[in-house]
Amino acid sequence: MAGFLKVLFRNLLQGPSTDPFPLVPETFTPDRLRGKVVINQDLCMGCGICSYVCVAGAINIEKREDGHTITVWHNSCCRCAACRQYCPMHAISLEPNWHSAHAEADKYKVIEQKTIAYEPCSVCGKMIRPVPEATLKKLYVHNDDVDLNHVRSLCPSCRQLEDARRSAGLPPAAEKKAVE
Amino acid sequence: MSISTYTMPLGPVHVALEEPVYFHLTVEGENIKNVELTSGHVHRGMERMAMQRTLVKNVTLTERVCSLCSNSHSFTYSMVVENALNLEIPERAKYLRVLAEEIKRIASHLFNLAIQVHIAGFKSFFMHVMEVREIMQDIKETVYGNRMNLAANCIGGVKCDVTDELLEYILKQMDVIEPQLEEIKDIFTNNHIILTRTNGLGILPPEDALALGVCGPTARGSGIVRDVRRDTPYAAYPDLEFDVITEPGCCVHSRAMVRVRELFESVKLIRQCCNKMPKGPVFNHMGKIPYNEAFAHTEAPRGEVAYYIRTNGTDKPARLKWRVPSYMNWKALGVMMRGCQIAEVALVLNSVDPCVSCTER
Amino acid sequence: MQEIIKGHAPLIDALTPLCTGEKAIKHTTDLYGNGYHWFRLDQSSKIKDAARILKGYQARLIMISAYSVTDGPEECKELCYHFDVEGIIYNLTVTQNREWPIVPSITPEFANADWHEREIMELYNIKVTDHPNPKRLFLDEKLDAGLLASAVPLSVMMNGASSKDLWERILSEKEQQR
Repeated sequence: MAGFLKVLFRNLLQGPSTDPFPLVPETFTPDRLRGKVVINQDLCMGCGICSYVCVAGAINIEKREDGHTITVWHNSCCRCAACRQYCPMHAISLEPNWHSAHAEADKYKVIEQKTIAYEPCSVCGKMIRPVPEATLKKLYVHNDDVDLNHVRSLCPSCRQLEDARRSAGLPPAAEKKAVE
Repeated sequence: MSISTYTMPLGPVHVALEEPVYFHLTVEGENIKNVELTSGHVHRGMERMAMQRTLVKNVTLTERVCSLCSNSHSFTYSMVVENALNLEIPERAKYLRVLAEEIKRIASHLFNLAIQVHIAGFKSFFMHVMEVREIMQDIKETVYGNRMNLAANCIGGVKCDVTDELLEYILKQMDVIEPQLEEIKDIFTNNHIILTRTNGLGILPPEDALALGVCGPTARGSGIVRDVRRDTPYAAYPDLEFDVITEPGCCVHSRAMVRVRELFESVKLIRQCCNKMPKGPVFNHMGKIPYNEAFAHTEAPRGEVAYYIRTNGTDKPARLKWRVPSYMNWKALGVMMRGCQIAEVALVLNSVDPCVSCTER
Repeated sequence: MQEIIKGHAPLIDALTPLCTGEKAIKHTTDLYGNGYHWFRLDQSSKIKDAARILKGYQARLIMISAYSVTDGPEECKELCYHFDVEGIIYNLTVTQNREWPIVPSITPEFANADWHEREIMELYNIKVTDHPNPKRLFLDEKLDAGLLASAVPLSVMMNGASSKDLWERILSEKEQQR
């Protein structure tokens, strides 16, 4: 019995180990805590892999002619981080925010929503999601001579033609705007 | 007055953990003659749900079969899919999987031990064991981001890479927890209250344990050397050094002592994982899904978890079936409780570390 | 290159005569070199003989998996029995169809087959004969066996499932806010 009395006495001196939340402003929250999902609109391409791997069906992507809207309903999200794992653009992160209490009336309002606007291709005019700058820099890291701003404004097929022209030593295609 | 038998209903709320299951105890005075149980209150049809979801989604679904062995489910499920797809996993992922599994094992064993002393009426010690378990809970939250569902595994490897700083942190916490585990071991071995309540109670003779196919600490507490980590080596276990703990007592106390001593084996495994962690990628992408069937099993904290899968060339499994350790261990209660008194039912029940939500899926 | 797969040769030899069909036996291994042996028995009644053979090798029954085969020539149900002998897994498959509708119970040989067989009876509506205690395991006695195959999931009934309707509600709420 003496063995435990020692433990008991030590614990008594130590005092309570629980935080009296919400009377204290914050409690133990490590940086890697899997909290609310956040979408980086600069990176999201709208490919939909996140909603394919989401077991809870918490991610919805609505595609329109002029852009796409990605919505995460926090009330369905089970914070398994599968979307973060499979997103090829690393556009999804889980921030250490676990505050999720809300009124019943507001239940459909607890969402993370980002709308990404598309722009017309500078050559053919087709509406496209411009490739994020950071990705372009990675893709063309060995091509210093390429004008990234110009490439960024091209749709995939025009970009392919452009790359072929460059390989063949031809000058870049005239931009549509310039022709007009 | 002659002694008559009486059937006593117990439940539906689980007498050890707050889970629903009915017991029908046939008693003669205070002594139990026979035990039967009625379950099915939390049958959620999860195997069928799994057949309607894609292989990737089922990693998260299976992790939610049970909270205490959540990691073992996603681990074994990922393994069975890898077997069916013939998908190799990177060396680093093997170590990371073992690391997560052993962290969960310490937390799970401590939880069971705490509940045992709680039932024995030793509340202050219950609070202390739970407090020590908080060290493991903090590790899980700091490293993986959640106290229960680690979301560590994925098909082809792991989702959660652990940085060198965090490996350092885990090693430091192991140094903090080890002396406290020694203290717990000492109290479990020598404390008068624990010994009087549990020693020699709920006997499961080795021959019954073999016949009923029990697994995990329930089998090892009856002196049976059975550990999937040793018998069917998987992940990084073949490269790591650990002992399979057995106790000859066959009683509630020896099952508890198996868990107490396994805590130190897990600490040993965690230290080895942190020190030997290979560098490199943490997951491989899935290839083409063939027509195939596969089987995999692992040692969860409560015993053996087994998965069987049939794939049919689509991204959804044609059949996914799993069996949890509790499913095998419930039957042993009939043997253990024979001759026990009513007041001892909860202690015997807790000694097999039962899980209703696991059993019924 | 022929890989060596771990197994017990006498046990495999004893089980082989029960499986005479084409491709009825296969041997596989996992990434860690563990052996898995797969046997497809000729008739469902042969599981009894196989169980007796395995019992002689101190096998342990791990699990019985039942499943429906819907993409074969004939719709049928199959049972796969998973046994462990010293860490090596022996999987025995039997088919339950119109020709062989009966599966004998192996509970007399392996006591822990009890729950598995009861679960299979009620969830898959497969007749297991000579079961010593054929009571319901999960389902109430009043419900028909195999009922859950046609039941409506609770999550659908309670609108908990992620449906088109749910997303319309979430997205329209947002528009009202604007």
